[in-house]
Amino acid sequence: MKKLAFYGKGGIGKSTTVSNLAVAFAERGLKVMQIGCDPKADSTLALRGGAPLTSVLDLVRAKQPFDLQDMVRIGYKDIVCVEAGGPTPGSGCAGRGIITALDKLRDYGAYETYHPDIVLYDVLGDVVCGGFSMPMRGGYADQVYILTSGENMAIHAAANIAMALENFKDRGYAKLGGFILNRRNVKNEDAKVQELSEDFKSQVIASLPHSELVTDAEELGKTVLEAFPNSDMAEAYRNLAAAVLREDAVC
Amino acid sequence: MNTSYRIIPCYTGDVSGVCSALFELGGMVVIHDPSGCNSTYNTHDETRWYDHDSLIFISGLAEIDAVFGNDQKLIDDTVDAALNLHPKFITLVNSPIPYLNGTDFEAICRIIESRTCIPTFYIPTNGMHDYVPGAGAALAEIAKRFVSVPEGKKPGSVNLLGVTPLDFAADGSAESLRETVERAGFSVHSCWAMGDSLETLSHSGEAAVNLVVSAMGLPAAKVLRERFGTPYVAGTPLGSFSETVFASMRRATETGENQFPLLERLNQTDSGIFAIGEPITMGSVLAAMELPGTVLCPLEHCESLLNKNTLAVVGEEEAETMLKNAKVVIADPLYRPILPKGAKLIELPHEAFSGRCFRKTMKNLFTIDYDALRKEASL
Repeated sequence: MKKLAFYGKGGIGKSTTVSNLAVAFAERGLKVMQIGCDPKADSTLALRGGAPLTSVLDLVRAKQPFDLQDMVRIGYKDIVCVEAGGPTPGSGCAGRGIITALDKLRDYGAYETYHPDIVLYDVLGDVVCGGFSMPMRGGYADQVYILTSGENMAIHAAANIAMALENFKDRGYAKLGGFILNRRNVKNEDAKVQELSEDFKSQVIASLPHSELVTDAEELGKTVLEAFPNSDMAEAYRNLAAAVLREDAVC
Repeated sequence: MNTSYRIIPCYTGDVSGVCSALFELGGMVVIHDPSGCNSTYNTHDETRWYDHDSLIFISGLAEIDAVFGNDQKLIDDTVDAALNLHPKFITLVNSPIPYLNGTDFEAICRIIESRTCIPTFYIPTNGMHDYVPGAGAALAEIAKRFVSVPEGKKPGSVNLLGVTPLDFAADGSAESLRETVERAGFSVHSCWAMGDSLETLSHSGEAAVNLVVSAMGLPAAKVLRERFGTPYVAGTPLGSFSETVFASMRRATETGENQFPLLERLNQTDSGIFAIGEPITMGSVLAAMELPGTVLCPLEHCESLLNKNTLAVVGEEEAETMLKNAKVVIADPLYRPILPKGAKLIELPHEAFSGRCFRKTMKNLFTIDYDALRKEASL
């Protein structure tokens, strides 16, 4: 089982990219589990075709007995969808919530029951606290991929995440698999992201073009691979999946 | 509010449970906390400080280190102390602040172990549970990490599991338990964890049977069962009930099956007789008194010990409701204020409930005259 975590600045397109990646893996015949680690609980929307999914923390909050099946929704291409959820907006601790949700999944035997070939952790924004570093800790992800564009704020967030991995290298945490450039078509975009990757002795494993098909698919409540399977953008996601599998094999 | 405590105290916490279980094993226990958990343990939950030394430390977590997630002070201080004191193992114990911060104890343990070459492990407490999960997890970790694979079983030998002052506080209790079991013809291989060293415990795989005398010992019994196939018996050999427990131990040895002699205990749900506390000891007390009654169990991680005779109770309000028709209650004296008018209380002080309040009158459960106690309870 490969476990991969995806980080990056809020709004950079993590959930969209991870969901398309999940479908690309599934197209290769792999069993995929996608776990949204964000209080908004919207990571797997495009995989569920509008079907509801109660987040793990909403189940915990209800203080009623629940089963593993209650935490999960089987989505497009049999992708196992999970949303960690979070506390009431404006209160509680979202980071602690992520830990609690991931602990529940482990305690309820999610990985043993569904036997995924690949687990994708789609993690909110930056590594702002201990909770949001949970998916990169020992026993969780083996590799971390950081999404960024050439925008300065996105690069700054990406550098922070890479720095966290660097700081934790004696703790047996996940390794940096590489950077994924999600283009915003800003000036010198390739050069800036290339420089970032070199600063961390890493590499840009894929470059995703800016495409209106992404928002068109979002309007349809689907991934690009489902809505426009023959498009260049779908092919870009498939190429990303191939690159991730290559990188993972190398590491 | 129906699970809150207005009148009676709550039970000793999970942090103290870990410390109590590991106190005599030569390890170093570090509670990562500003200091509150430390003072509760030392002041109320530990009876052995006057006679024994033990390496129980508090990290002295500072507010600013908690805010910034500075784990380095914990790591450096623990490594420094360990290199000076040479403990047999290092245990890190969590508390509310680092729990909510999401401090990665597993990773910190790996770093400390790599710097000290001393086995280091984490017991996942958070100060929000009672002593049974804490002590149970600590003893289970010992069973996983330190008990070696035996060359064979020693017939007639037994490990006593779940023995700490939190449930057996009266002076001489552990010795009395050991003598009681040996008088019945068994050889006590080890006692978890009073009176025996880590080295002795490490040979526990040789025992023919495990006797779980409190819920604290159950997780370790399950580990030893899984690792070495050793069957266990859940019961405390008290008074006339001892013979039933010993018969169960012989049956477990012969059949290889776990035994639960408390299920055979007299039952009459409307008897008005209740015992409150740790389910194995209090069930055994009722059995020794030969009284039909119900055990109310306010402790966590005891689900597998619940049955028609032993009911879970959560919070003071539920306890009051369940006790509303009680005629006789065997419990710690601090339960008196929530008993119905006219109910008779047979006082059995419980360290994990009232701490040092009744230490001078603490009774040795293994030397109580249960016939006399039954007469005292006579309706």
